[in-house]
Amino acid sequence: MLLLDYQNVLIESLLKERFAGGPPVSIDQVVSDFDGVIFHISTPESKSKILVSISIKCFPELVQYGAQAVMEREYGPYIVAPESGYDFSVQVDLDSLPEDQESKDDLVRRVSLLKRNIMAAPFEQAFDEYHHLAEEASKYTSESAPQGVQEGGETRSIHYREEEAIYVKASHDRVTVIFSTVFREETDRIFGKVFLQEFVDARRRAIQNAPQVLFQNQPPLELEKVPGVNRSGSNDIGYITFVLFPRHLTAQRRAEVISHIQTFRDYFHYHIKASKAFIHSRMRKRTADFLQVLRRARPEAEEKERKTASGRTFRVQS
Amino acid sequence: MSQSLRPYLQCVRSSLTAALSLSNFASQASERHNVPEIEAQSCPEVLLNPLTISRNENEKVFIEPSINSVRISIKIKQADEIENILVHKFTRFLNQRAEAFFILRRKAVKGYDISFLITNFHTEEMLKHKLVDFIIQFMEEVDKEISEMKLFLNARARFVAESFLTPFD
Amino acid sequence: MASQTPAVVMDNGTGYSKLGFAGNDSPSFVFPTAISTKAPAGGSGGSGSGRPAVANKPSFLTGGAGPGGHLSAKRGTEDLDFFIGDEALSAAAGPGYGVHYPIRHGQIDNWDLMERFWSNSIFKYLRVEPEDHYFLLTEPPLNPPENRENTAEIMFESFNCAGLYIAVQAVLALAASWTSSKVQDRSLTGTVIDSGAGVTHVIPVAEGYVIGSSIKSVPIAGRDITNFVQSLLRDRGEPDSSLQTAERIKEEYCYVSPDIVKEFTKYDREPEDKFKKHTVTHPNGRSVTVDVGYERFLAPEIFFNPEIYSSDFLTPLPNIVDTVIQTSPIDVRRGLYKNIVLSGGSTLYKDFGRRLQRDIRHLVDARIKASEVRSGGARSGGLDVQVITHKRQRHGPWFGGSLLGQTPEFRSYCHTKAEYDEIGPSIVRRFALLGGPGST
Repeated sequence: MLLLDYQNVLIESLLKERFAGGPPVSIDQVVSDFDGVIFHISTPESKSKILVSISIKCFPELVQYGAQAVMEREYGPYIVAPESGYDFSVQVDLDSLPEDQESKDDLVRRVSLLKRNIMAAPFEQAFDEYHHLAEEASKYTSESAPQGVQEGGETRSIHYREEEAIYVKASHDRVTVIFSTVFREETDRIFGKVFLQEFVDARRRAIQNAPQVLFQNQPPLELEKVPGVNRSGSNDIGYITFVLFPRHLTAQRRAEVISHIQTFRDYFHYHIKASKAFIHSRMRKRTADFLQVLRRARPEAEEKERKTASGRTFRVQS
Repeated sequence: MSQSLRPYLQCVRSSLTAALSLSNFASQASERHNVPEIEAQSCPEVLLNPLTISRNENEKVFIEPSINSVRISIKIKQADEIENILVHKFTRFLNQRAEAFFILRRKAVKGYDISFLITNFHTEEMLKHKLVDFIIQFMEEVDKEISEMKLFLNARARFVAESFLTPFD
Repeated sequence: MASQTPAVVMDNGTGYSKLGFAGNDSPSFVFPTAISTKAPAGGSGGSGSGRPAVANKPSFLTGGAGPGGHLSAKRGTEDLDFFIGDEALSAAAGPGYGVHYPIRHGQIDNWDLMERFWSNSIFKYLRVEPEDHYFLLTEPPLNPPENRENTAEIMFESFNCAGLYIAVQAVLALAASWTSSKVQDRSLTGTVIDSGAGVTHVIPVAEGYVIGSSIKSVPIAGRDITNFVQSLLRDRGEPDSSLQTAERIKEEYCYVSPDIVKEFTKYDREPEDKFKKHTVTHPNGRSVTVDVGYERFLAPEIFFNPEIYSSDFLTPLPNIVDTVIQTSPIDVRRGLYKNIVLSGGSTLYKDFGRRLQRDIRHLVDARIKASEVRSGGARSGGLDVQVITHKRQRHGPWFGGSLLGQTPEFRSYCHTKAEYDEIGPSIVRRFALLGGPGST
């Protein structure tokens, strides 16, 4: 597996099975997703009504950045009052599903992308703001632009994990997405540095049209005025900046870009772990090789059974 | 093999072969005990002069002979942070499996990355020159392994980064 | 950090892996413990899974984006190209992939593959950041401590998981039986009969510790029952006697009868009630009907009368259980008879528990009677034999793990990453007994 999925596999497979006419059983599962997201999939009223609730750490922030509208658009009639203890709920009634297979699949996809969609709100808002600013800016030359247009919009911060956050900022020619990430272990920190260096270099070397990536331990300039940013510059904290250019912000690519960039942090940590796993298997192999060499140092064990020409065996008496 | 590596390994080989003349020697300090004197360090008269063979400041071998045991400690080349962590990981991995290695010391001597302890019981059971071969081969391969792992890490990082950024293209 | 997240419970068995989160009553994912990897291409590296060639050419020399497989082969990324579970089986059906089973006889056989299996389980299926979660893994009885250490090495060093607890499957199966109404005291003493696809184990557990010397295994389990059903279908010349059909019939129609002779006469007297018809629909749309007859009760009968199926293993399961308990220390035998817990898919037949209980009781009563006679008039107080059947039997060990993993004190029983870093892998040789005396 190279890239992480955007959707939650459990929700996807569960709904798919039920939509295809799987046996009506009651469901009650509390499952996790990345970044401390908790889903509750249940059938509280009847076996044909599946309620999917999500609890996400930064929900108040997301609402502030227009999550409600995004969810309204994505789930419309399926939204129900949030279950207690959770932030958002949708309910699907198996008895009143859309008729054709295509819209069924679409519904499965939508519901399994619950986390992605809820997290998409600030990105969408920033992308919209960029389009607005770009329009504004086109009316001025670069010198005469008023302060607001030149500086760009506010920085949206999403504290999606305990110690880590995403910051999104739009300006008239770009959208900047900054991830802060914490390494809790020395090995991870060093591996992470190697990886991030390649992220920074990749654009220069191979993929010219990719977003520009920057990496530093100090918070970047965009976060100057944002409260609550760790400015210690310690080695354990990294700030990774993605600069999305207009070509990434077009309407037809936006959904994909948002989904993809959201997975960055988990993708990055997944690959650090996967390479440690690979190094483990190298070491296992190498250790086995060394043992083989060492075993050669032992003189051949007892002499093997010897046979006479007639096939009888005899043993050397010691 | 680079110019200085061959004489370095050759030197380790001959010093080690010389040091491996061990004999059974019961402890003088406590009755009916037979301990590796180099570890016990209780009777100075059975300890021989320790010896350092060094290729450069990052790569050296420390041989501590005694009448019934030899301790060999190796400092593995570490040019940067990455190699440092890889060496650390690898030696820890080996130490975890010390049981299978007979002559591997579970803990490295201070200042070195990995240590071996060869006693007279080992040399009685195993062929001496093959033990020396093992140490030499270990030294050769460990460097190779570390640099291969480092190469792998870089290659993997590049691949991962490019794979992530390609969808944006 | 990881204060709210539910613990991850993974029960990797020889046949199937059960993955999920503590607190749920069933695992989120159940799939075969299989992993399929790219078959080593001839000539490239040669060492297979060990040390693929490391690319030393910078990417601009390889010509940027080539076809995916070609590119990844050059970069030494074969280790990312694999599938697990059901996907592994379907990938292996196509060209290029070979399927492997990293667990043999309950124990991990190939650590390289297992590490990747776990990696994919965590990141693709469970979708969790292991740094945020505690993990509860299971192990078979008599697992060598080295295997535990290797497991810990992987979980802590590769995945940095927050905390780890490794429990013995049989003990978890006992804990799972606490949901049964027949269980009054939550003791961890009992005999576990664990019957999966490959083998059936009878494991005595005293106060949370497995009595290793008394474990017995029976080479009759789910797969044998399926084969037996299949052979009966073949003998009768049914239109469809594939393994899948046999398996469906086994799962849907089989039950345990109290007495096979009586059961045969019952079938003769009221055939319309007992004989069933099973409809098999082929993928091409045609469907055939298979008669289901005596195999309904004959198939599970091989546990109780193995001679009808096998010629080299002839001891009935009740006798095995009795022997296991008789070879255990005398002071726990009463507890072992009183709490015989079933676990695993092949114990789900209707009335399996009842028949087992009756047969064991007969053996015990016969012995008591004999000793009463020998002692000349002394009366015995009798011995209570009880077989516990409960709803969570199928994934017993997983459910037990889920039950214990959600308790508030679970985390204090785990070894944390910090402790591991401090002490090293040997830390996992000992775990405090979860759910044992002293805990709620």
